[in-house]
Amino acid sequence: MGPPKKSKKDRSGGEKFAKKRREDEAYAQLVDESETNDSVDATESDGVPGAASKNAETNDEQINTDEYGAKDYRAQMQLRQDHGNRPLWVAPNGHVFLESFSPVYKHAHDFLIAISEPVCRPEHIHEYKLTAYSLYAAVSVGLQTHDIIEYLKRLSKTSIPEGILEFIRLCTLSYGKVKLVLKHNKYFIESPHPEVLQKLLKDPVIQKCRLIRSEGEGFIQGTMDGKAITQFGTKLPPASGADKPPEDPNAAAPGAADGATVVPEDITDFYEKIDKEEEDEDEANLKTVSFEVAQEKIEVIQKRCIEIEHPLLAEYDFRNDTNNPDINIDLKPAAVLRPYQEKSLRKMFGNGRARSGVIVLPCGAGKSLVGVTACCTVRKRALVLCNSGVSVEQWKQQFKMWSTADDSMICRFTSEAKDKPMGCGILVTTYSMITHTQKRSWEAEQTMRWLQEQEWGIMVLDEVHTIPAKMFRRVLTIVQSHCKLGLTATLLREDDKIADLNFLIGPKLYEANWLELQKKGFIARVQCAEVWCPMSPEFYREYLTTKTSKKMLLYVMNPSKFRSCQFLIKYHEQRGDKTIVFSDNVFALKHYAIKMNKPFIYGPTSQNERIQILQNFKFNSKVNTIFVSKVADTSFDLPEANVLIQISSHGGSRRQEAQRLGRILRAKKGAIAEEYNAFFYTLVSQDTMEMSYSRKRQRFLVNQGYSYKVITHLKGMDTDSDLLYGTHDEQAQLLQLVLSASDLDCEDEKVPGEPGYRPGGSGGTTKRTGGLSSMSGGDDAVYYEHRRKNVGSVHPLFKKFRG
Amino acid sequence: MADTRTGRHAAAAGSSSSGISALTQSPANLECKDFQEYLRTRQTPETLEKLYNYPPICLAVFRELPEIARQFIIRILFVDQPVPQAVVSSWGAQRCAKEQTDATSCLTALNVWRVTAIPGGLSAWELSPTFKKSVRQVLLGGGKPWPMTNTLEKDSKPRDINFLDTYAMSRWRCVLHYMVGTGSRNGAETEAISPDAVRILLHANLMKRDERDGITITRQGFQFLLLDTRAQVWHFMLHYLDTCEERGMPLPECLSMLFQLSFSTLGRDYSSEGMNKQMLDFLQHLREFGLVYQRKRKEGRFYPTRLALNVTSKEAAVAATLTTDEEGVQESGYIVVETNYRVYAYTDSPLQVAVLGLFTELLYRFPNLVVGVLTRDSVRQALRGGITAEQIVSYLEQYAHPNMRLVESAIQSKSCLPPTVVDQIKLWEMERNRFTYTEGVVYNQFLSQNDFVTLRDYAQSIHVLVWQNERTRTMVVQKNGHDDVKRYWKKYSKSGG
Repeated sequence: MGPPKKSKKDRSGGEKFAKKRREDEAYAQLVDESETNDSVDATESDGVPGAASKNAETNDEQINTDEYGAKDYRAQMQLRQDHGNRPLWVAPNGHVFLESFSPVYKHAHDFLIAISEPVCRPEHIHEYKLTAYSLYAAVSVGLQTHDIIEYLKRLSKTSIPEGILEFIRLCTLSYGKVKLVLKHNKYFIESPHPEVLQKLLKDPVIQKCRLIRSEGEGFIQGTMDGKAITQFGTKLPPASGADKPPEDPNAAAPGAADGATVVPEDITDFYEKIDKEEEDEDEANLKTVSFEVAQEKIEVIQKRCIEIEHPLLAEYDFRNDTNNPDINIDLKPAAVLRPYQEKSLRKMFGNGRARSGVIVLPCGAGKSLVGVTACCTVRKRALVLCNSGVSVEQWKQQFKMWSTADDSMICRFTSEAKDKPMGCGILVTTYSMITHTQKRSWEAEQTMRWLQEQEWGIMVLDEVHTIPAKMFRRVLTIVQSHCKLGLTATLLREDDKIADLNFLIGPKLYEANWLELQKKGFIARVQCAEVWCPMSPEFYREYLTTKTSKKMLLYVMNPSKFRSCQFLIKYHEQRGDKTIVFSDNVFALKHYAIKMNKPFIYGPTSQNERIQILQNFKFNSKVNTIFVSKVADTSFDLPEANVLIQISSHGGSRRQEAQRLGRILRAKKGAIAEEYNAFFYTLVSQDTMEMSYSRKRQRFLVNQGYSYKVITHLKGMDTDSDLLYGTHDEQAQLLQLVLSASDLDCEDEKVPGEPGYRPGGSGGTTKRTGGLSSMSGGDDAVYYEHRRKNVGSVHPLFKKFRG
Repeated sequence: MADTRTGRHAAAAGSSSSGISALTQSPANLECKDFQEYLRTRQTPETLEKLYNYPPICLAVFRELPEIARQFIIRILFVDQPVPQAVVSSWGAQRCAKEQTDATSCLTALNVWRVTAIPGGLSAWELSPTFKKSVRQVLLGGGKPWPMTNTLEKDSKPRDINFLDTYAMSRWRCVLHYMVGTGSRNGAETEAISPDAVRILLHANLMKRDERDGITITRQGFQFLLLDTRAQVWHFMLHYLDTCEERGMPLPECLSMLFQLSFSTLGRDYSSEGMNKQMLDFLQHLREFGLVYQRKRKEGRFYPTRLALNVTSKEAAVAATLTTDEEGVQESGYIVVETNYRVYAYTDSPLQVAVLGLFTELLYRFPNLVVGVLTRDSVRQALRGGITAEQIVSYLEQYAHPNMRLVESAIQSKSCLPPTVVDQIKLWEMERNRFTYTEGVVYNQFLSQNDFVTLRDYAQSIHVLVWQNERTRTMVVQKNGHDDVKRYWKKYSKSGG
């Protein structure tokens, strides 16, 4: 990166700054009158500091490409003498490549997870990316600029490009220096750096917010107190060895056992230092200074601090909060945290206070336990927000399963179940319930009022990636909570708005590695397969000539897809598997389900019927297959399911793909970890748009190390005479049916919270009584043994070459 | 009368059809011949006879023969009269009949034996006298002493095997570097190659002259780069031998010397005394390509290298690559292929990068690492260039990083590459061949609908109809059904008209 580049960036930053200034006055006025909640419909970019828009990606634009079109970084860095022992390369554009087989992988991995975003983590070489957000997250969990740079230098095989060092400094220097702490029911702005506070106080807006109790009061001197909380919840038997991360001995073992691989000493030294620092941080008696701020001005000051590039880290000193009553909730002794769950919580409660942030764990890896444990640790009133009525029920179940909370403590607040909120400690509700703007019933109105009056200790936001920023802001303005914990499996959105969450909730605290969890058996080993279904000539002709919306219906209803689906269902039923079939298209969903005589769930299906179908799927051995629309994408907890077939999907959505995979990820009991114990099929009509969509959808999972096997031919399908749509006549009828379908049928189902959704009914989910379809399910026919094989990958030409 | 034309008919996707080879295969692909094939296709019986005057060639031929064929030869080598064919065929068990026929035809094709009539009207096998004489000489000794066998006084500075291996590879790499045009750029480490070598590359069609009289690599050249070293050397040497006569070097002598080298011992020094001028020239060429090591041009002492030893024998090649694997992991395994199609290559060698660049999209280059990704476009570009999926896969496999072999899936399956990536590369190749071709005959210009329908129905009934259109009264029948349909049409039109 050359000097001209830098100055350009500075300039643009300056402009932004100046613009902000101009807006200041207007803003100050606005704030005065805007304690009423509704006017805070701010623009999307609001609440995000300017530094966050910095991007290292463009740092290497001036770098020459070599003759093959690759970015040539060789002139930017020198290879170090002992590069063999160091595990990573840092590119000038912020990408970091890490050898997973390096002896110091463990150290480097923990470090990189803290300071960067994982891009892809397959078997051998992982790629990470340094972003403004990830660095923000790093400083917020206590890493210092100097440490980051120093450690990165030591781990790298080469010298670090100057541009990257500059980038790290830019992004970390001002971040994470100031904290907003609630202590003894007073809000303080706290920082270990007095000069930063001085700077803040020069700002007129902040000055106004300061609460001065006595004249001439200086900063309040203090020390960071408290001891590390290594035990979550107040579980009676102490968590075994919780003080020491259990993987430490493992990390040490390979180094000691394998004398041949020398770990450069400076790496281990430094690692130990950082490790210790993290643990000691709280005992280190860090000198801090602080000043008190008026409670009602909190939001103003938060916003202002973001604007002047000193975002406040919200921390909640829940131990010293005497204003809000404790609730009586503990973890049950049976609840044992897995190492990665503990690690993620450690990041959250690292210094004895609760940080706000997002924890990313794959579906099925026990997100709810993390949520429950967090609530039990804080022990203040907790609000859990999720995105459907069914998951509200499931959260309640989770609370009852892991904690000592009983029915009287847990209040559900949905359109269908409204428990009495008074006196309860945990409220579980949906996003749409809270943000609902139409008229409510009297009962709901009461609950809402109560909810708004409360000061919540912790707010758990389930599936946090699904809610649009706007909706989320509404939630934040309605509910007052001291700390926010976002839970999600996939921190990605097609519109890249996900970055905003960093500043609305907090930084990403932890992200698990899917492949590692899979290897350790915490989540199921999934075989992903893409089944290619050739379009029948008649369907393909229509496909090529009709307009777009019909096209989709044509490739979803492709008879060979239907046959493949039926074949796979049969195959897996006969193995004793539980299968879920997903279809975004309701027309296809109904047609498939009714033809195959299986139960199905979609938007209009009532809550009762849904639960009934799910219960049957769980316990009734005759119901082994259910069809669901995209309402089941998230938070339908179906631990029994181990086969998933996807017949139609929402364009190229990577998130949906990951969410759906999550439905079958829950580790299967008694399964051997070496074998595949779950199957994920995507049926794709060959030569249609689906092919390219499918490629796009898979990107996220492929980057997590999953691999998709392409199946071009299902063996045994041709000879199976039980499959429907085998004859030309039947196929022609199907085609007629498709062609006569209305335009509405061609569309995907709309689900609340999505851009295309038009709220029509009263509740969050539209209610209509769906026809109670046949629940008979798997008719007992005689099944045959089929063995599938990827046929067709061996071309005769190759044989010739071998010979 | 229906007009018939022979031609090919590309069937629309979905209907059944199958292939014309000329169209589906790209015309000029690299042909790799083994020694037998070379002898069979390039040499006439007369020249073969000439070659058999050289015992080393005969020994090489003998070693390359199928096992059963070798049995036959040993059994009749010392029989001084033709052996009846019935006797020979009675030697093998019935269940090995196929192998036996193969062996028999192989021997015939190589002109090792021929059919003669013996009294009693039986046909019999008789070994070629020159071949017989030479093989006997190989086994029993005698004849002229071979060159290279002169004893030498002990080398004061003997060269060990490691040295020879590095030397050979560095020489050979010069040739490869020249091909990808990277040799001259990093001038220091590599030397230019001689005009002779360039001529061979041109002759072998591995490189060609472009308009501006520069020399560029051809698609065959790229395919050549994907071969393993042994195959490369062999292919190269074959073309060298093709051109050696022009250079005034007798082919049999060169071939003989080449084989003699391949029978020598690695790490031992040999004397070049007693070689004639042409053979000394040949030796110099071999020296240039790294097949032999010689300290000074005029020195009468040389060491054959592994490249020369591996020229013929397949088994030896396997053994040799195994040992080099252990010796130089750095050398052989440097590519990591991930399930997300990422390719990481631990290399800074321009040659290796150039080869990778053939089928991967390179993203970043670090001082000791190249990051690339296999994309549909990049692979298709390679496929268009005539490289096959199999070649890409085998190249990646051959140079896979040692860590790739430790993965669980690699242990279970024989390939160390992620299976999905292998499948996908093959699928990318297959999707280029979605059209299948059927040779057929077009019938059109029927005078009446009735004629058309009758003939079409007939063709359909004997399952030779490929395609028909009633409106234009056109139909296509398979080529092998043409005669039947024609006959039927003649009969029909005679009776009808």
